[in-house]
Amino acid sequence: MTTLEQLFGGRTAVVVPEVVGPALAARTRERFERAGYTRYALLDRGSYDVLPDPEEPELFGPLIEIAARTTSRSLVLAEVRALRLQPGDYLLAHHDRIHDGHPVELVLDLSPASVPGAEVHYRRRGQVYFRAPGAPGSLAIVERGPTVSCNHTYVTRRHAAASIVRLVMLLRDG
Amino acid sequence: MWRPGPAWQDEDQLARAWRAARPFPHLVFDDFVPAGALPELLAVLEDEPVERYEGDIFVFEASALEPATPALRAVRDAFASVLSPPLSRITGRPLRRADMRAYAYRVGHYLLPHSDHQEDLGRAVAYAYYLPSPEPPSGGELEMFACRAENGELVSTDSARLIEPAPNRLVVFEVSVVSLHQVREVLDGLRISLAGWFYP
Repeated sequence: MTTLEQLFGGRTAVVVPEVVGPALAARTRERFERAGYTRYALLDRGSYDVLPDPEEPELFGPLIEIAARTTSRSLVLAEVRALRLQPGDYLLAHHDRIHDGHPVELVLDLSPASVPGAEVHYRRRGQVYFRAPGAPGSLAIVERGPTVSCNHTYVTRRHAAASIVRLVMLLRDG
Repeated sequence: MWRPGPAWQDEDQLARAWRAARPFPHLVFDDFVPAGALPELLAVLEDEPVERYEGDIFVFEASALEPATPALRAVRDAFASVLSPPLSRITGRPLRRADMRAYAYRVGHYLLPHSDHQEDLGRAVAYAYYLPSPEPPSGGELEMFACRAENGELVSTDSARLIEPAPNRLVVFEVSVVSLHQVREVLDGLRISLAGWFYP
């Protein structure tokens, strides 16, 4: 008999290092800045800056290709947003949406530097099963399911200059 | 050990202060226990094991839900039996028992904004009692937020009050859907406290 755990446990959750270099990351961050973030501050759910629907077609294509190759699926972009977390910021798991089907979530770390403890956690029934560490230039690829939620961990105030920038893309079968 | 001092004598005044407190009903008592009782209390905690707990809203060290040592269970039971009657009169909520855990917040530990309110748990009044620390903490304040709720969902959350974790200070506050609060990150030192809830 196949258990639900086996069904969900076999799905992809990987980090591909060095997908973008520091120069491209810096240029992308500048474009996000110019486009303008909006502050989200319902503090029982999250504290962060968000830029919905950034336009980065030259970046999206190669990232979708990497995800398609990794998951052996044909994928198209369904949703995208850029997040910026500064000292004291976070996104809690209950602020995350539960997704129908098994979309693929990509998290591209565009931060100028890593910050200890600033990670993206994927949870199944509340328990962390995959940690995407803070690694500038890396791409986390996670096949989600209806029991998966995600949180972006608290960014310490002990690094006053910390700035975490993540491009979060949701891909569905195309 | 737990003997409400002179500050507890005028319960009518405390009840008015409770109701008037913003962003939600709360009281702060300094010099809560006689200074001579603190070494005994700290000795109880030295024997109580703590573990690291980590979730999306918290990182801290704490004792188990039920104290491991008879000494901390006795401290908890005495705390509940001494404080439940006056707090019931002051808050207008019938309180009969309390739980208690020991907490150690080290550098980088925090508890992000939450209300403590869960319908099925029956938490009526929350408390935190701060103990003297061998390494007095920087950060670790209790921050309370002014919130507005619509249909049970918070639609605004604004910082309204910061309470330092001063040694021998007791904070009590009402638990409700809008009692949003957090323990700010400890930036240095060690924050030691006893905390929990009173129940009907």
